[in-house]
Amino acid sequence: MRIIRFPHPDDAPDVPTPPEVEAALHGDAVGPSAEYWRELRADVRALAPPLPPALEQRLRERIEQRASAGWQRTPGRARIRRALARITDVLGSRGYATALAVLVPVAVAAIVAVALVDPGAAPQTRFAKSAGRATSNFSGAAGSSSSAKAKGLGAPASAPVASQALAPQSADAVGPAQRVQQRGASITLAAKPEEVQSVADQVAQLAAREGGFVQSSHVQVQAGRPGEANLQLSLPSERLSASLASLGRIASTRAESQSLQDISDVYDAAKRKLADAVAERQALLRALARASAQGQIESIRARLALVGGAITRDRDAFQSVSRRGSSSTVEVTVLGNANAGGGGLTLSRGLHDAGDVLRGALAALLIVLAVLVPLAVLLAVSLGAWRVTRRRLRERALS
Amino acid sequence: MFSSDERSKSSSAGEALDSAGFEQVFRDCAVDLHGYAFSLLRDAAAAEDVTALAFERLYRSRARLDRTRGTPRAWLFAIARNAALDELRRRRRQPLETHGSGHADTAVAGGEEIARVERGAALQTALQALMPRERELVLLKFHGELTNAELARVLGISESNAGTRLHRALLKLRDACAQLGIEDVA
Repeated sequence: MRIIRFPHPDDAPDVPTPPEVEAALHGDAVGPSAEYWRELRADVRALAPPLPPALEQRLRERIEQRASAGWQRTPGRARIRRALARITDVLGSRGYATALAVLVPVAVAAIVAVALVDPGAAPQTRFAKSAGRATSNFSGAAGSSSSAKAKGLGAPASAPVASQALAPQSADAVGPAQRVQQRGASITLAAKPEEVQSVADQVAQLAAREGGFVQSSHVQVQAGRPGEANLQLSLPSERLSASLASLGRIASTRAESQSLQDISDVYDAAKRKLADAVAERQALLRALARASAQGQIESIRARLALVGGAITRDRDAFQSVSRRGSSSTVEVTVLGNANAGGGGLTLSRGLHDAGDVLRGALAALLIVLAVLVPLAVLLAVSLGAWRVTRRRLRERALS
Repeated sequence: MFSSDERSKSSSAGEALDSAGFEQVFRDCAVDLHGYAFSLLRDAAAAEDVTALAFERLYRSRARLDRTRGTPRAWLFAIARNAALDELRRRRRQPLETHGSGHADTAVAGGEEIARVERGAALQTALQALMPRERELVLLKFHGELTNAELARVLGISESNAGTRLHRALLKLRDACAQLGIEDVA
């Protein structure tokens, strides 16, 4: 018969501290208390059956067999689970977590900064969408050509305008919803004094290449004084942006501006007037066909002559308005400047171009980050939630 | 059973776990891992499955084993714990439910053996007196011989929390043993 002693408060053993228990279990401590914990551990371990040699051999065979089966024979679900576990391990490691914690705010800050620093994009977009009721004039101060180009001459604004400017070329195809816009630009180029004439010639050749022409030009070159050339070009509106870019490659740009004016009302009025005159002429012709009296015939013929003159004038006016829409006037000023770089490759132009390339690359990178960063954050949150849920489900088995 | 020094020596030698290293880990941990799995599941076949699964995963991952994040032993016990809990969840079965003594098929020969079996039954009862999470912690500590830091990593809690919970569970186990008259467990 086993005698179990009734516990008494005086019999309560001393309460060891956690380090003492830990030291006892790791064999670092001696004494009755330490011995007690080690023996308790041995007794708890003895509750489990020993590993029989046959089982050990079977385990070895199973491990070898299952391990050699390899990744390929893993069921798809388990493969996905393992891949996710590996990703979460990678994301969960301290180094990557730190990098993520730094990169995410930096990327978000960069996106916000670009959005704030480059406000030109948004107004241009709005401007283009509003079909140019108001006139917009972007100009940059001398010596700040890059900012002028960045703010005023971006492709987003010019592309839709150019497409609309094509409308006047086919007058009958213009519908009420289409707008006709007159575009203009001015650009100031800087060249060395001895290269002013050469640059002016290149500008004229460029105008011809782009399908336009030189409306007027004035080149002034004097020995010992900086020369100057003024050219007024007429260029197809749809080629305006490309032409301005080409002009910028001839010599360094000092200033650049673009303007746009909506001439839809004028265009529509001219068109209506021409249509009315044509309709009147046709009505007169029909009346002439029906007329029998000589006096009536002569009266109609006189009116026809007047209407014919009116049609000629109205057609000229209409074509003039159409040309204003389809062609853009570009004023080019070439300033002779001893400090100006040529059109070729120089250090400053190279740096400038490099800056443009870097800016473009940064913009592309930001767009990619703007897509990837939220996705990565979402993925990390999902994986974290998935791990927590899985852990809780497992822990629930113990409850 | 091997000492802590031997264990740490075998589990931290070299960066990559080659075949010899894996064999060493298997020799060091197989018995303990199987015992731990059996204590959790109380099912010999399931314990064998869990043990095999843990070693299989260690074998496959031996090339990319990150020693800085824990020893292979701790890694093995973490895998075994997850697999055992998954198994428990799958079977919707209470952990550590009474299945008699772990290996009661041992032939009972004399009075000493009877006393040993009685002591084992009493200790089993004392373990049952613990909360399931406390019991699991004690089993993980005793079978795995893990440090508190390794326990924390396996359980996904802080080291201090693991130490506190373990200490509380051990004291409760000691009190339960005392109440059952197991004064000298050895």
